[in-house]
Amino acid sequence: MSLAGPSRLVPRQSVDSAVNEILPVLPGNVRSMIAALSGSILEKVKEIRFRQGKPLILGLSNQDIFLSVEGRPTKQANEAYVVTPADMERLIQLISSSSLYALEEELRNGFITLPGGHRAGITGKAVLEGGKVKALKYLSGCNIRISREINGVATGVLPYLLDGAGSIFHTILVSPPCCGKTTMLRDLVRQISNGVPELGFPGLTVGVVDERSEIAGCHKGIPQRDVGIRTDVLDGCPKAEGMMMLLRSMSPQVIAADEIGRREDVDALEEVLNAGVKILITAHGKNLAELIERPALGQIIRSKMIERFVILGRSRGVGTVEDIIDGKSMRSMGVKKC
Amino acid sequence: MLKMVGATLVVLAGGLSGLAVAGNYSRRPRELRSLRSALQMLETEIAYGATYLPEALSQVSRRCDRITSILFSEAAAELSSMSGITASEAWEKALVKYYQVTALNSHDVSILRNLGASLGISDREDQIKHLRLAMEQIDAETALAEDESARNVKLWSYLGFLGGLLIVLLLY
Repeated sequence: MSLAGPSRLVPRQSVDSAVNEILPVLPGNVRSMIAALSGSILEKVKEIRFRQGKPLILGLSNQDIFLSVEGRPTKQANEAYVVTPADMERLIQLISSSSLYALEEELRNGFITLPGGHRAGITGKAVLEGGKVKALKYLSGCNIRISREINGVATGVLPYLLDGAGSIFHTILVSPPCCGKTTMLRDLVRQISNGVPELGFPGLTVGVVDERSEIAGCHKGIPQRDVGIRTDVLDGCPKAEGMMMLLRSMSPQVIAADEIGRREDVDALEEVLNAGVKILITAHGKNLAELIERPALGQIIRSKMIERFVILGRSRGVGTVEDIIDGKSMRSMGVKKC
Repeated sequence: MLKMVGATLVVLAGGLSGLAVAGNYSRRPRELRSLRSALQMLETEIAYGATYLPEALSQVSRRCDRITSILFSEAAAELSSMSGITASEAWEKALVKYYQVTALNSHDVSILRNLGASLGISDREDQIKHLRLAMEQIDAETALAEDESARNVKLWSYLGFLGGLLIVLLLY
């Protein structure tokens, strides 16, 4: 369970509650339009897109819709409610809790994590200093992405990752973008951290380096997602540095991180592997062959340090487990499409 | 007899209203100073603590005197209610309540109103600039208010009674 107090101890069950959580950060007029939508639409809302001077767009799981001026869902762009500069200004104030000065790092990264673990991506004009983005100004676009945690997606995979001696195998989750990598990682972290009595697995101390606040969805440092009872989260920390910090300070048994790929990440990863700490990471890639081609990551894979590869795809919907591969023999473990 | 009682009441009323005006003159510099130190605290919270505005406001409200704390606690409450209002609207609402109980004049309030318009909407440096500007303006007002109070407190405490007496003399 997360540390965010009793209100978060109950896992979100009704899907609508996810949308309800972001209502307080919407400007009043948009708020009432969205609150009035039918439940069947609300439960499909994935994104709410604001672009100044352009129609307000709701991204549903299968299509985009507009809202008419009266708040009716419509497919005609010319009937759609257009986001005014005043809406935009109010929205920015609300998602930042009127504290833009406290969110300079977040603005540099282009997104703010909202209470509930939802994320608001922001665009505007970049202010540069020494060739690096220092801040964003003239904020003109915002995309609120509603995050819905799915507890239990990793249940089918977990037995293949346990080494039978109370620990887990070094594991890489591989998939193209948008195939549920992070969701899978989060649920694995949760289950590994809590322990699974049915499998006789006691639970391990997990350190999570959450560079982009996607795994634990921290708001003011507190995880808004359920990442388990033995989980320490370093929020917004660069992965390479974060892994070393956790290694030194929190004596984790497992270190988890999202989207490993850069040279320095892999160097830090080697350090973790040598320290005898198990790793649980994700990487972009369609399949194993593609991953081995990657200059930095390939080296670790060829050294046979990684013991399990979980290949995710969307052949049967987002989050399909296409294959689980044993790292030593590089053979499939006979798990297909679950 | 009745006349005497009436006369006493008139003098007393004149005297008391004079004292009330005098009291206002001496309260204003005091409240301005308290307001300034509250803004200084807010600056520290914003500049060094990077505390979120609703939290920063309520922190400040807990540490300043009773009258000044009304402004900050009201603004914090309005903002934390998540009713969809912006920081400047919350500040404005709090100012209205604050104005009813304070000895500040409309000019002082307009300094605060200008500050409210930029609260929380820009980066740290800019926030500090706006807070410093407001503090400077308040400093200037404090100096003026002290001058005024030195002159007026005495004047009004006498003027009330004397005015009361004058009315009595005219009517007697």
